[in-house]
Amino acid sequence: MSADPFHLGWFYSKGFGPKAWKHPWAGSDVDRFTKPDVPVELARAMERSGFDYLMIEDSSNVPYTYQGSHDAYLKHSVDTPKLDPSILAPFLTAATKHLGIVVTCSTTEYHPFMLARMMNALDHVSDGRIGWNVVTGSNDGGAQNYGRDKQFPHDQRYDMADEFIDVANKLWKSWDEDALVLDLEEGVFADGSKVRPINHEGDFFRSRGPLSAPRSPQGSPVICQAGGSPRGRKWASEHAETIIASASSPQKMKEYRDDVRARAAAAGRDPDSIKMLFLVSPVVDEDRETAVMRAKRQGAEMSANADFQLAALSRSSGIDFSKFDMDEVLGELVSNGHQSSVAGYTGKTVRQLVESNPLTGDGDLFVGTADDVAGAMDETMQEVGGDGFLIVNSYFPRRYVTEICDGLVPELQKRGLTRKKYEFDTFRENLMAY
Amino acid sequence: MTADPFHLAWFTSFNSPAWRSAWGGETGTEWMTGEYFVDMARSLERAGFDFMMFEDSTMVSEALGGTSEMDLKHGLHSPKMDPLPLLPLLAAATKHMGFIATASTSFYPPFILARTMATLDHLTRGRIGWNVVTSSEDIAGKNYGMDSLPEHDERYDRADEFVDVVEQLWDSWEPGAIVMNQETGHYADHTKVHPINFEGKYHKVRGPLNMPAGPQGHPVLCQAGGSPRGREFSSAHANAIVTALPTVDKMKAYRADIRERAARQGRNPDDIKVMYLVQPIIGETEAEARAKFHQIYGMDDPMQIEQTLGVISAVTEIDFFQFPLDEEMPEGVTTNGHQSILDDFIQRNRGKTLRESLSERARLGPELVGTAESVADQMDSMMEEVGGDGFLIRAETGLSHNRRYIDEISSGLAPVLRRRGLIRSSYDHALFKDNLLAF
Repeated sequence: MSADPFHLGWFYSKGFGPKAWKHPWAGSDVDRFTKPDVPVELARAMERSGFDYLMIEDSSNVPYTYQGSHDAYLKHSVDTPKLDPSILAPFLTAATKHLGIVVTCSTTEYHPFMLARMMNALDHVSDGRIGWNVVTGSNDGGAQNYGRDKQFPHDQRYDMADEFIDVANKLWKSWDEDALVLDLEEGVFADGSKVRPINHEGDFFRSRGPLSAPRSPQGSPVICQAGGSPRGRKWASEHAETIIASASSPQKMKEYRDDVRARAAAAGRDPDSIKMLFLVSPVVDEDRETAVMRAKRQGAEMSANADFQLAALSRSSGIDFSKFDMDEVLGELVSNGHQSSVAGYTGKTVRQLVESNPLTGDGDLFVGTADDVAGAMDETMQEVGGDGFLIVNSYFPRRYVTEICDGLVPELQKRGLTRKKYEFDTFRENLMAY
Repeated sequence: MTADPFHLAWFTSFNSPAWRSAWGGETGTEWMTGEYFVDMARSLERAGFDFMMFEDSTMVSEALGGTSEMDLKHGLHSPKMDPLPLLPLLAAATKHMGFIATASTSFYPPFILARTMATLDHLTRGRIGWNVVTSSEDIAGKNYGMDSLPEHDERYDRADEFVDVVEQLWDSWEPGAIVMNQETGHYADHTKVHPINFEGKYHKVRGPLNMPAGPQGHPVLCQAGGSPRGREFSSAHANAIVTALPTVDKMKAYRADIRERAARQGRNPDDIKVMYLVQPIIGETEAEARAKFHQIYGMDDPMQIEQTLGVISAVTEIDFFQFPLDEEMPEGVTTNGHQSILDDFIQRNRGKTLRESLSERARLGPELVGTAESVADQMDSMMEEVGGDGFLIRAETGLSHNRRYIDEISSGLAPVLRRRGLIRSSYDHALFKDNLLAF
């Protein structure tokens, strides 16, 4: 018995910025991280191996939460520098034919009209292969670049995001599908009766509309989200089509998935219209011993660079982790940032946090030969029920791309667990195909 | 002390790479679209390689037991596609690197070859090279209407004449023959375009070429002569020489001989770059590299033994399966194929069993195993000892020719060599030949 076919994505952690630079196999072009070279190669490899999408993470500030200084962030390249992912997206879609590209944009930074227009244009130029990862902002330093002292309170951000996506959806529908007439005999380009202002006046946003461009191939981008907190899950269950999910064991994955599906059903949605992809960081090699040794070396490097890990934790939580002792057991922490992640820190020592993979915490479940890891993914999906995995490796070198796309994925394909070819033209159709 | 800067190139075939390796992915079919090699070209240019060289042969070999079973089972000599049409794809995906394709003087008419190469030189804006081979397998000759190929040394006599014809054709348009005078309406000036009226012992060609030569004039010529006659030929014509030698002493002696022959024939020895075949095996630790080396060249695996016997049988046209694996090779075996390869194999393996000999045979070049730093050290000291001119990386069909190996070389080894100033960090010239001869 094996799991039903599942989906694969890649979480492009640390955004449009440096990947491997001081790491093994980094190559000699690390100064070209501002160019599309590495992500274009990644996108091609992902398409070769049948991935659903590449999700480009983003945040738009040079953080300074840790030790009240940006030094550690810049020294280690922790979440900075990051270039604008919406500029990168067209390079990736131009280099591929089927892969979905998901761009992260914050509802507290963009105006809904500007966001709706940009996603519409991206969807047009990519022939329907764009997704939007909806974030609400988490670090106060980000808010300060947009004229505010602090982020809005956590739950209010989601209320704003509710209204934001409502406005965006209205704008995306403000041109009927048949509004473009292109009647050469009558000389009619578009039919005014099929294009409508939206006249939105809400608690947070006002926008007259209509959108200044016609309906795009997908109509709207695929909505991606990463809500872990109760409020975040509620938002995701109402709006998201794919979810970036983080859980440290198959059991927790299942709990999360069951909860979101129940919420979706309660909100009147078909739970199958939400694909939850769980973050994993496989280490794959030709034999298990080598893979295990490599995973150990990576863990040792993490511990040896505590500064680096603490800076990342501080940014996402908004809490300065330099104030804790390494062996201090953490109590309940109050965060206005990534609340669900922070809730998981309670009861652990800072050292334990530093030594584990902050994004997946999956230990060595996915370490071994391609055969081992494919087997573990199969079993995990059997237990969880769906819907797939998101590969994450913040400072990956090109060699890692080969190990996943030409080593691991062919093994999954051989077992019939992931797609061998794309059936449809648009990202959403492929994502929802099974 | 370190060696002078040297050149890096990659030796490959346009065939299926390591489709059955752990990182083979879909390359068993994907190679036919050229995508694999396009990715490879991009990676190698990023790393600072001078060129990619495509060896070639045009047969389904039956050297083993009179059937094509081994050849096709392991994808040894076939399937293999024509490298010439691939080159423009590679050139379009890159900006600086050179691309060398193999074409046989025994099979092409010189006019077609001269025209194809000149066209490629234009299309690539001067980044093309021709690897001159005379071919050595009778079974390939049979595809072109011959019962057998001419004898070894005669093939080189024909090749001498062939290269002469081709070069005359490339020179048959004087520089400036295209005048594009809008007032008089002259596109080309017929007084600058000359028939060559070549009548030799083997070839008869009127000329002129029906197009001007490309930006390089004469594309880079590459050759792989190992026998005395072959060396005489390559030292007379080549800009790049491909050779497989197992020890630094032999590498040094070979290069000295080539340079001496070149000088005697009135050429500047520095216009010839001798490139040594190597298969560096790189790991994050020495132990990891050693384990990988054993996996690829350890000769534990019956499939690997069979594949290696298959390769050497096909190129020598001698059925190596007839010899017992755990005994020494017998004396006095002759071939009409690559005699120098066969002689060398027997000689260098005196006192060793055939099985023991296969690991080195599979490798062709000296052993290079370790972390990127330690392999860079070894390459450095080798070049310091030999005097130049560079290395040709080669990976194993079926075993290590995959994207991960390419990346280990281009993102692991090459950056270390570059940091030490041992390979180029930029391409200073537009033309392949100028970059190759720049140091």
